[in-house]
Amino acid sequence: MSEVRALNDQAKTLIEFDRLCKIFPARGDDEPVEALKDVSFDIKDGEFITVLGPSGCGKTTLLRILAGLEQFDSGDVRVDGQSVTGPGPDRAMVFQSFALMPWAKIIDNVAFGLELRGVPKAEREDRAMRLIELVGLKGFERRLPGALSGGMQQRVGLARALAVDPRILLMDEPFGALDEQTRRLLQEELLAIWEASRKTVIFITHSMEEAVLLGDRIVLMSPRPGRIVDVVDVPLARPRSTTIDTIEGSPEFAAITADLWHRLREMQLFRPSTAEAVEADAARVAS
Amino acid sequence: MSSAVSQQRRAATGGGLARPPSHSVASRIYDSAWTYRLIAFAIFATVWQLYAQAADSLLIPTFTETVEGLVTLLTSPETYQAFLLSNQALVIGFSIAVIVGIPAGLAAARYPTIEAFFDPYLSILLVTPMAALIPILLMSLGIGIEARVLLVIVFAIPVIIVNSRAGVRQVDASLIEMATSYGATERQIWRKILIPGSLPAVMTGVRLGLGRGITGMVIIELLMVAVGIGNLILEFRGLFEPGLLYGVVVLVVIEALILVTLVRKLEYRLAPWSRGSALSE
Repeated sequence: MSEVRALNDQAKTLIEFDRLCKIFPARGDDEPVEALKDVSFDIKDGEFITVLGPSGCGKTTLLRILAGLEQFDSGDVRVDGQSVTGPGPDRAMVFQSFALMPWAKIIDNVAFGLELRGVPKAEREDRAMRLIELVGLKGFERRLPGALSGGMQQRVGLARALAVDPRILLMDEPFGALDEQTRRLLQEELLAIWEASRKTVIFITHSMEEAVLLGDRIVLMSPRPGRIVDVVDVPLARPRSTTIDTIEGSPEFAAITADLWHRLREMQLFRPSTAEAVEADAARVAS
Repeated sequence: MSSAVSQQRRAATGGGLARPPSHSVASRIYDSAWTYRLIAFAIFATVWQLYAQAADSLLIPTFTETVEGLVTLLTSPETYQAFLLSNQALVIGFSIAVIVGIPAGLAAARYPTIEAFFDPYLSILLVTPMAALIPILLMSLGIGIEARVLLVIVFAIPVIIVNSRAGVRQVDASLIEMATSYGATERQIWRKILIPGSLPAVMTGVRLGLGRGITGMVIIELLMVAVGIGNLILEFRGLFEPGLLYGVVVLVVIEALILVTLVRKLEYRLAPWSRGSALSE
């Protein structure tokens, strides 16, 4: 399987998760939540990693820690050998909720990261315009986000992330709020953009098809405590942007998706808390 | 506004029966909200006129008497002096309420320590019947302009603070997170996210505060310090001049409507992306 990504096998490691632990403290009557437990994983430069798991498995927490938006309790996260202590210009995030400023024109939304960094107006607008074109929104640059459909809004979110030219693109279920057709189009476009730019991408999703379609490797996570249960290589040839339909019809795609579903299903059905609850129930009935 | 109303009305008449858009004079009159406002006003004036004539009381002027009173007032310099005097307290008091209230509300939303400082007093101001404060104000400040200014502030500032605070709190948390992830400093988060994001609610607070400030301005003059507009009202009541008395009230209403409309226009202009989405009291 690894010969598919032979090129990347030689690439150097860019991101390291090193026995990362994160516990959300108890709130009121709730127990403390072990969001991440001993998560260790390396990502190579230029890789497209998809992270898949049921809700509550800590996949979003993992991404937020890498983004510098969340503290962690022990272990370490390093980008290019440097520990992550906060947000940095080498990483840019795309949000599930799009997170566009409703009062700002599309061009100003796309240029936002550059504006924060003090890039002069003419320069940042020039760059923003090029990215607006890249994501197919030319002609909409003076509109407000409210005038755009969900799919178009997420294109703006993607353009904003690309505008700051990060090494790493962090995507938190970016297409989760979109309908099936829009989602498909954006997957194709994301693949095309990635194939041209070869940025390192960490893409969170709860869709097995999406994880397989996009990723070089799939990080499979499991809840309570959040941990990595497996890393699955995706043996599908690149480039995939123009062949999505063929890929989805292929036996490999079916096999790997079925395998993932099998394992996710098991996680949901036999997670410890359910087993305990069943036992407790049985004990109560017996007494 | 008028087109929105007519759209609603069209929708209410049922999609199947909706008439195709036409631009004839008749249909424009038919579609204009002003047509209905004028009809409603005509009905109101007629009922008033008939009732006042039937009652035949010294204290209830007819509609026409009120209009006559209004004309007399508008041609008398005394009226303008009274409005000028009263409005001094409004201008000073309302400006202070805005200048202090907005930053206080904004800061309270993000910094709990600041909120802890004045939250109890804000709660007291929100629930106390303001008129009850008037004797206290007069005893401590006398009957000069200071008491009137302070009363306008006390009337106006609670809704300004509360709406500004709510404005910052209702800013989408994902926007703050987004800005943080792109490396924004606290200052940049304020300038680029929190201030524009809270603007619609802040402006609503300003508009509501203005209405309450006008109330405060008139109330203190009626109850305690008989100057300006309040004095006019008391004087015409004493002289049994109901036409003039009602005329003054109408002028106060007109002033309030003009000022509030101006603030609403400003609100739309500053925050065109969120028409009508702001909070109310």
